[in-house]
Amino acid sequence: MTLVATRPGTGEARPYTFPEIRRVTVGGGTVIAAHLPGQLLASAMLLLDAGAAHESDGREGTATVLAKSLEEGTRTRDSAAYALALEGLGAELSPSVDWDSFRVGVSAPVPLLLATVRLAAEAIRTPRLDPADVLRVRDDEVTALRMDWAQPGPRADATLRADLFGTGRYGRPLHGDPTSVAAVTVDDVLAFHQSGLLRPGVLLVAGDLDTLDLAALGEAAFAGTTGSARAPEGPLAWTPRDQRTVILVDRPGSVQSTLRLGHRSPERATPDYVPMTLAATVLGGAFTSRLNHLIREVKGYTYGIRGSYAMSRRFGRFEVAAGVQTAVTVPAIVDTLGEIDRTQLDGVTEDELSVARSWRAGQLSVEMQTPGAIVGALSTLVLHGLPDDYYPSLRTQYLEATVEQVSAAAAAQLHPKGLTLVVEGDAAVIRDELVAAKIGDVVDASF
Amino acid sequence: MVSEDRSSPVVCVNLWYDVGSRHEPAGQTGFAHLFEHLMFEGSVHVKKTEHMRLVQGNGGSLNATTNPDRTNYFETMPSEHLELALWLEADRMGGLVPALTQETLDNQREVVKNERRQRYENVPYGDAWLRLLELLYPPGHPYHHPTIGSMEDLNAAGLDTFKAFHQQYYVPNNCVLTVAGDASPAEVFALAEKYFGQLAPVAGIPAAPSAHLTGPATTPARETVSAAVPAPRIYLSHRTHPFGTAGYDAITVLATVLGNGRGSRLYQRLADGKRIAQPDYIGSYGVDLAHAPAPLIITATAKDGVDVAELEDGLSEVIAGLVTEPVTDEELSRAKALLTTAWWRSLSTVGGRADTLGRYATQFGDPATVAYRLPQWLAVTADDVTEAAAYALKPESRVTLTYLPEEKA
Repeated sequence: MTLVATRPGTGEARPYTFPEIRRVTVGGGTVIAAHLPGQLLASAMLLLDAGAAHESDGREGTATVLAKSLEEGTRTRDSAAYALALEGLGAELSPSVDWDSFRVGVSAPVPLLLATVRLAAEAIRTPRLDPADVLRVRDDEVTALRMDWAQPGPRADATLRADLFGTGRYGRPLHGDPTSVAAVTVDDVLAFHQSGLLRPGVLLVAGDLDTLDLAALGEAAFAGTTGSARAPEGPLAWTPRDQRTVILVDRPGSVQSTLRLGHRSPERATPDYVPMTLAATVLGGAFTSRLNHLIREVKGYTYGIRGSYAMSRRFGRFEVAAGVQTAVTVPAIVDTLGEIDRTQLDGVTEDELSVARSWRAGQLSVEMQTPGAIVGALSTLVLHGLPDDYYPSLRTQYLEATVEQVSAAAAAQLHPKGLTLVVEGDAAVIRDELVAAKIGDVVDASF
Repeated sequence: MVSEDRSSPVVCVNLWYDVGSRHEPAGQTGFAHLFEHLMFEGSVHVKKTEHMRLVQGNGGSLNATTNPDRTNYFETMPSEHLELALWLEADRMGGLVPALTQETLDNQREVVKNERRQRYENVPYGDAWLRLLELLYPPGHPYHHPTIGSMEDLNAAGLDTFKAFHQQYYVPNNCVLTVAGDASPAEVFALAEKYFGQLAPVAGIPAAPSAHLTGPATTPARETVSAAVPAPRIYLSHRTHPFGTAGYDAITVLATVLGNGRGSRLYQRLADGKRIAQPDYIGSYGVDLAHAPAPLIITATAKDGVDVAELEDGLSEVIAGLVTEPVTDEELSRAKALLTTAWWRSLSTVGGRADTLGRYATQFGDPATVAYRLPQWLAVTADDVTEAAAYALKPESRVTLTYLPEEKA
């Protein structure tokens, strides 16, 4: 047996390109499309300015109930006929709601995309929304949320969000909670549809544009729409905190503690986006990150731990998330805080940064192979007003970021002394040790 | 094998080792999977943690999975790093044992135990698959025990066992190497020769215990679990046919007619229709195992206030209907359209394509057989579905696993 001892060098890299982007204005809306020659499947997404941020207080989850009601029949066919028509094309609707948008995605073989988009538009623009159906979907959604909230995680997420963002829409879960969804009325759903889903929005398409007819796709997507885009609102004001809070969410008998450590951070438009992202990659993004190395690969406390920034139009937040064995809850938290502290104080090293740079840059190729992934990339351009050459330029920015820039971003954008630490686990087992560790004041969550 | 595709500047390197949890003897459950973890912890020319650092630090994504049948390893890299990926794979195929340490084993044993907690023990219904396998396959059958293994066996895992495991199974004649993407066959074959060419085949690879079963079970099995779950849930399961057979192709179409999508019979009749099942948690799917009749799993969760017996009756009625109410043309074409999209989606990345080719070469000896799967699904008739249901879905061969919310103390 002979192995080659010398690690091979790098071959010649092909220049990075993002697929060619084309635009068509038609039927009162805009189609933005990326050309993927030879792909058998194509994807389309209708991106609508109707995110969860537009929901009323106490009715969080309205947009999700609407999303799930869209396939309960349209003005021209009932729900069973609709399902057969759409699935007969091999397609399914993927509606989703985030803070900034309401989006409905479909994918289908290229020759069937137009018929698929027609059906998607039929459900989005002219859903039946029969009151009895809407109420049933709402009740099913309450049950589905209860199912989801029985798992570890959602209660910890909601607790962290409420502590970071306080009262008002941004302090409540993205999809609401069982109580707020139960309060959603038929009128809430109809009004949300009326105000959000009848504007044209933007149709994103990725596929073989030599075969796809973008004008016809746009006409299908924008038929019968009225109004124009809403004016975007500015970022939320915030300041970093100077003390830590520990919030305990009881999950009796839990064999792991679910950790969610977080603080607020700038919104997506921040000039620090690239160096912050790289700092978080070194701290908790890559497999070899400081956190995963110490907590998983050295200590064996967890199956995995991640740290990241999430940034939307109006706000951002930093978060570390992990499930750790109950018996090592406090040591795992102490070690995690140590790594966040160290990163904030001392920054990153060239060795670590070189991994982070290359990984982030390479992922722009590796994770963008499919029409679905390209449509997702187009949606980022639209939501955040980014130029067509954004991805090539982002790649360059990643590759050129210096240790000084990334360390400065870590120093400015990590706030270990102002963290909220949510611990969802068996309170009877972990409370005393958590209090004794003097990480911060320990309070109980209101679940 | 090489599948050249220049549409993205990326390349996937994928290895299927023909060893899975079906090879594990009693007392060593979970070893194939724990071993998979050890493959990332360094080899003779790659230091601990360096494997991950070299792949991610050159822009790649990587992972590995273990199931009852096999273990696969894969990384998708910007294509200028193809040679690095092949070097890393050769080094851990030919040079893992000298780098294995007790410290690494102890650490990864704890990681795997946390994986078991996170995936199976700490989530509602998380242990359903572990319970179903025990009910579906008799003791001693290679599919009887789950791939994650038992805590007891994991705790007993010794270093020498893993060294022997590598020497027995991680050999070139037990592996298929597939490269898909931005590379030419000539280039890949030359590099494969350079890095793997000197690794000697090993004779006498131990076979897995016999997986032979004469057919579906002849007596039903039933287990009811009271646990911290939010609603009653039922899993019905049957052993069907092995993946890759005409019988299993019919089961795949049947599962789609029965429980995939809003137009499926289960959704239409129990989520809509009678409205006794939660719409987000109803469906049916086959688990594509190739070495014995593979399971079909049918699941539904009761809506608030619905008795679990009513839900089970509803499921049984829909299943029985697959024999008594022939599948219509509309149902069949819906299922085939969904399967067609799913098939092309699974091949739309270089990673998906490499893994599929590796599967067909490993399990059927010829990667070209991959071309028959979709046409064979499309050739399934309504009679085939009826026949598959009559053969495999009889009440007397059924496993029924029911979860009930435990009474609050």
